[in-house]
Amino acid sequence: MGDSQYSFSLTTFSPSGKLVQIEHALTAVGSGQTSLGIKAANGVVIATEKKLPSILVDESSVQKIQSLTPNIGVVYSGMGPDFRVLVRKSRKQAEQYHRLYKEPIPVTQLVREIAAVMQEFTQSGGVRPFGVSLLVAGFDDNGAQLYQVDPSGSYFSWKASAMGKNVSNAKTFLEKRYTDDMELDDAVHTAILTLKEGFEGQISSKNIEIGIISTDKQFRVLTPAEIDDYLAEVE
Amino acid sequence: MSRGSGGGYDRHITIFSPEGRLFQVEYAFKAVKAAGITSIGVRGKDSVCVVTQKKVPDKLLDQTSVSHLFPITKYLGLLATGMTADARTLVQQARNEAAEFRFRYGYEMPVDVLAKWIADKSQVYTQHAYMRPLGVVAMVLGIDDEFGPRLYKCDPAGHFFGHKATSAGLKEQEAINFLEKKMKNDPAFTYEETVQTAISALQSVLQEDFKANEIEVGVVRQENPVFRVLSMEEIDEHLTAISERD
Repeated sequence: MGDSQYSFSLTTFSPSGKLVQIEHALTAVGSGQTSLGIKAANGVVIATEKKLPSILVDESSVQKIQSLTPNIGVVYSGMGPDFRVLVRKSRKQAEQYHRLYKEPIPVTQLVREIAAVMQEFTQSGGVRPFGVSLLVAGFDDNGAQLYQVDPSGSYFSWKASAMGKNVSNAKTFLEKRYTDDMELDDAVHTAILTLKEGFEGQISSKNIEIGIISTDKQFRVLTPAEIDDYLAEVE
Repeated sequence: MSRGSGGGYDRHITIFSPEGRLFQVEYAFKAVKAAGITSIGVRGKDSVCVVTQKKVPDKLLDQTSVSHLFPITKYLGLLATGMTADARTLVQQARNEAAEFRFRYGYEMPVDVLAKWIADKSQVYTQHAYMRPLGVVAMVLGIDDEFGPRLYKCDPAGHFFGHKATSAGLKEQEAINFLEKKMKNDPAFTYEETVQTAISALQSVLQEDFKANEIEVGVVRQENPVFRVLSMEEIDEHLTAISERD
């Protein structure tokens, strides 16, 4: 991974023992659009704002929530181009696992491999850390799972989490609203309400994206029509 | 201790600044504007049109060699706004990639796949210190088998979006404001309307009326999905139609 001219790392320790490039990467994440995830009793929901730079942008050409395998989905806050790189690498790793073991990759394994890639970019020569935090949602033999991966490569499992611009309000809201026995439908409503908390302007099916996975182990992104239905229920 | 700024190198290579920004990428955007050209792209119901200024700085220059419109394949066009040299290497690599795609998979590279490839390449330059980002904004156009006419814009940061209409270059923001008003109610432009909207947007934003040899126009149409650069006569026809309309 070291580039020819740069056999030294660009991410180095400061005198106080901090890796400042990682801190700056987290700042980049913190100025990205809000996204969140909630683990319910029978599934996981992830959601994000989809604010486009102009009404001239064709919103059907943009999909922020991506699937990595049929039963694992991911959303991000931060730099879109960096996200695409991670999605591509993760999909390949999931496929390589499947080719070797003839089994779909467990969620924890995939998260560990993504995190390892992100850590590499904080230590290798001539590269900068990724400017994204990821929320990985999946359903495998261990049930519903939600993981957050940071630019440093550290990851944790969460019952509910948020990232991006509105992270502190969103997390406070989620802490109040979360219950362990939530059903997936309730979780989707809670997700929408959390996004609504810090939303600038009118929330609609055109400026948010929602992805769900439940016991059917099929990750899918909701259509604008389905989002409209949930929005109507929330009103 | 303010070692937190990355040793002052955050302005020279693509590492993060304390505010989480990439200065080199932001400077690349400025380089696009510094070329002094504005380009416009408009997508209609069954066609896409891109227009750019053709500034020939020296009378001794061969005008036909000055162009920012590049066919990537017979069916895909690319309009490059910004640094010409960077544009040429991008076009060269894109042509290679599109040809390999056709060879490997047996069908023509779709517009969005090309746009994504360009954007992913640009992202690599924003993350690896050994290469600077390219000072080019690329507008890719073509007719997609499934989705019809498509217009994509790729920038030095590695972003790419599909657009109903867009602009790049010096007067980018003014042009986008103009186009937002025109496209507000999702109009379905015919081929003539598409071309004339693009040209009149450029004229309005730069506040000058063009002669046919001062602009370049490229189109793709559903009825003939080949990427074509319009001839002087065709451009003249459209210019006349615009001035008669007003």
